[in-house]
Amino acid sequence: MTTTMAPRRSAPRLSPQPPLRQHRRLNVHRTLTSIVVALIVVVQVYPLAWLFLTSVRTEQDFANGDPFGLPTGFTLENYSRAFSTGNLALNILNSFIVTSGAIVLIVVLGMMAAYALQVLGFRGSKFVRGLFLIGIVVPVQIALVPLFIDYAAVNLLDTYQSIIIPLAGFSLPMSIFLFSSFYEYIPRETYEAASLDGAGPYRIFAQITFPLSLNTIVTVVMVNSIFIWNDFIFANTFVLSDGLKTIPLGLQNYIGAMGKVDWTATFAAVCVSITPLLLAFLVLNKAMIYGLSSGGSKG
Amino acid sequence: MLPNRSRLSVLIFLVPPLLLYAVAVLLPILQSLFLSFFQWDGVTDMQFVGLGNYIYMLTGDTVFWTAFLNTLGYLVICLILQLGGALLVASLLTMLRRGRELVKTLYLLPAVISTVAIAFLFQRIYSLEPAGLLNRGLELIGLGGLQTAWLSDVGTVLAAVSVPEGWRFTGLYMLIIYAALLAVPQELEEAAKLDGASWWQTFWRIKFPHIRPVWITTTIIATTYALRGFDIPYLLTNGGPGQASELLTTYMYKTAFTSTDYGYASTIAVFVVIECLVAVGLILLLLRRKADA
Repeated sequence: MTTTMAPRRSAPRLSPQPPLRQHRRLNVHRTLTSIVVALIVVVQVYPLAWLFLTSVRTEQDFANGDPFGLPTGFTLENYSRAFSTGNLALNILNSFIVTSGAIVLIVVLGMMAAYALQVLGFRGSKFVRGLFLIGIVVPVQIALVPLFIDYAAVNLLDTYQSIIIPLAGFSLPMSIFLFSSFYEYIPRETYEAASLDGAGPYRIFAQITFPLSLNTIVTVVMVNSIFIWNDFIFANTFVLSDGLKTIPLGLQNYIGAMGKVDWTATFAAVCVSITPLLLAFLVLNKAMIYGLSSGGSKG
Repeated sequence: MLPNRSRLSVLIFLVPPLLLYAVAVLLPILQSLFLSFFQWDGVTDMQFVGLGNYIYMLTGDTVFWTAFLNTLGYLVICLILQLGGALLVASLLTMLRRGRELVKTLYLLPAVISTVAIAFLFQRIYSLEPAGLLNRGLELIGLGGLQTAWLSDVGTVLAAVSVPEGWRFTGLYMLIIYAALLAVPQELEEAAKLDGASWWQTFWRIKFPHIRPVWITTTIIATTYALRGFDIPYLLTNGGPGQASELLTTYMYKTAFTSTDYGYASTIAVFVVIECLVAVGLILLLLRRKADA
């Protein structure tokens, strides 16, 4: 594609350089744009920087200080208080269990459904696609009361599964559509050649489709991890015992547990809770940004 | 279609995902529909009331209508911040030469943070006593007269609980729109500029029509997400003071799990679904028709 476009693109460049004045105006314009973008980014990120700064302030400094001021001292004491008051470590472990359980389901089942819909194909596949589309549009709140009743009937309330099932179920459609739109680009010939060599649908899935899907898997994992790690509504509805609470619920307990809110310790806990995702995000941010933008434009 | 596939192989790949999806999503939708025709507290016998819940909701329940109007306000604020902000930053970004990747990463950061953490953060930002970030900022730029307790003032609370939601996802929509803007062919833009089109004309006549399909998708995602917004209002104010920041979702949650009125809560939930479907229909109708004109 780029080779066919190259000659056409170079055509306007043959014209002489633009006059100097226009050039300068362009530069002023660019500088202004940079300044505006920088301002917007500062406003966007400042609350987060403030969150972090507060977590290393002394309590005294926080109580009297100007919220815009830099901390007068640096302390990690808030962090030790955060770990000693709550169940922070246990909450993080629970979040890992729930997130990995749901993610495995979303990836494996998403690939399987996309393979059946896009590669195998069958009569009625349009109808099945339509069914999955419902899950994207419908708000999750519709499932709260019925699932609560169903879980109570089969003794699933207050378990890891009770959160994993709806989280995976509601994220499945997006995963299926991401995988399907990728499978569209695998050339038919690849499959036909494999079929001629006698490979059945299972071998083709295991040896061709799955290995080719790795990039899409990274995307699906990253995008869904954010939403699942941070889920509040399902965990808040279905989990009652302290031992199963995930990070968002654990954080919420900080207020109740201490009567008077210990803000600096709470902010330290918040910082700890966002660290795993933040690290993953900063390391994999190319893959994630790619996934988020392509997911939207194909949806 | 693969030549060597059997009916069995299709079923093996399709049934497990469908099963999970049916248990978690499809069945609950049907159950909610069913429950919405009953009166039930979860303990005593279910009582069939026909359309009674719906009639009460639409004609007798003032809280419902307050919540509905609040939901629309919440939606408008979220859409302005998310879509307006996203389009503005995305088009500014295409004009930058350096630092695009950095801006993208920083701008997306709030999306990574849990709603509970965001609720804590904004509780402090809005605080009046001691002055939080917002009130202190107003004082610094000489607008100290505007200081208020944003979360307990009936006039500001709805905006105050909507802004964090808009703030947190604007980066996500910016990425989507930015990717679409980059895909607009350079030749078109250059040709328009050679013909003397202004920046504004190039944007509205050339670029925007090109990204319209993505814009429609983004609008639909943002709208359905805003209509299901729950966490931040629930955590920040729990609908208060009074019903000033009550959304349909928080009202439904309280009806179900505080008043344990499962039947009526399901009626509200069904209404929220219908509201989402109507919104999607309207968006498609309005934005598509403009495209044909």
